[in-house]
Amino acid sequence: MTKKKIIVKNRLGLHARPCALLVKTASRYRSDLIIKKDNIEVNGKSIMGVMMLAAEFGSELQLVANGVDEDYLINEIEELFESKFGED
Amino acid sequence: MKILHVKDFFESMNKDFALSVITDPKTLNNSIQEGYIHRPGLALAGYLEHYTYKRIQVLGETEITYMQTLSPELLYDRIREMFEFSIPLFIVTKGLSVPQQMEYLANEMNIAIISSRLSTDHLISGLTRYLRDYFAPQKSLHGTLVEVFGIGILITGKSGIGKSECALDLLERGHRMVTDDIVRVTLTGDKLIGSSVNDIGYFMEIRGVGVIDVERMYGIHAVRQKTVIDTQVELLLWQDNIDYERIGLTNNYVDMLGVNLPIVYLPVSPGKNISVIVEVVALNHILKNYGYEAAEVYQRKLQDIIQKKTRENSISKL
Repeated sequence: MTKKKIIVKNRLGLHARPCALLVKTASRYRSDLIIKKDNIEVNGKSIMGVMMLAAEFGSELQLVANGVDEDYLINEIEELFESKFGED
Repeated sequence: MKILHVKDFFESMNKDFALSVITDPKTLNNSIQEGYIHRPGLALAGYLEHYTYKRIQVLGETEITYMQTLSPELLYDRIREMFEFSIPLFIVTKGLSVPQQMEYLANEMNIAIISSRLSTDHLISGLTRYLRDYFAPQKSLHGTLVEVFGIGILITGKSGIGKSECALDLLERGHRMVTDDIVRVTLTGDKLIGSSVNDIGYFMEIRGVGVIDVERMYGIHAVRQKTVIDTQVELLLWQDNIDYERIGLTNNYVDMLGVNLPIVYLPVSPGKNISVIVEVVALNHILKNYGYEAAEVYQRKLQDIIQKKTRENSISKL
């Protein structure tokens, strides 16, 4: 199991487009991904779940990946957040 | 390029347009290559520049009475000059007869003249519609056409993926089928009309069962001769590494006879109920027609929530 704390860096937060990107990326891996925010826990491969977090700019998320390729998964998701999902 | 044989035109429309042939039957072997109508008033007056002679030439009372004002010699020369162009067909309206010279020359020079008992206006509007439909761009493709909640949905996808089974399921739910396997698409105005390629009836093949008669099984209310194609649903075998549409903020289109047809790519896996999803596609299409895009509304609401939180955070930091 790999855990990682991550900060939302794009100004618009996790609205529909970034969520779709995140979910599509996560779905390419075999590992499970759980995203936690303020005591809410959602499946990182479920778009409605991730959107429901309504994670705003500057908020903190915890990623928990579990499976054979968990490190790669976390790395790529982290890169997405770092690149601000291609926004700003 | 599609052509219309005068003979076929006469045989299929002689009742509707009250037609009778004036010239020799052999003139009916001519063919029409353009789906438009021309009133040859100027040609009769001797002006033959840009003469659209390939079209059906309609003679009304005005043209006929004008010809009567000309001297027989002049009329003969004018018609002869006109007939130098290989005109396929003249139609005279109101059951009027044409001058003798014209009939004689038409037989000589192999130009068909048909008389219609309809008024010029009626004939022209009927003929325009007939020609538009006849010369309309067409194609046929592999797919199943159904009408779900009044929305015409063209289901496509590889053989054996379950198009017919999906149609069958939709029939069970009270929807209607237009055709299975081969769909003829005709461009009418800016609309795509889908129908069967023949009149054989509403048969479909269900793998393992064989051919079934949908009209017999489900009744006349379960079938339609044709319908406007509003959207296409392409069934794809589920593959893990393909990005399927998740939110619906982007609408996909395909080009069909120059029309942008909305398309939904639907991943199919065993045990998945496709017909329910096709119903959802239809209902969503109706909502979109009424200007309601669920994905956009959701996106806006989500953005409002995120922005509100961002504002609250910046205030609490101050």
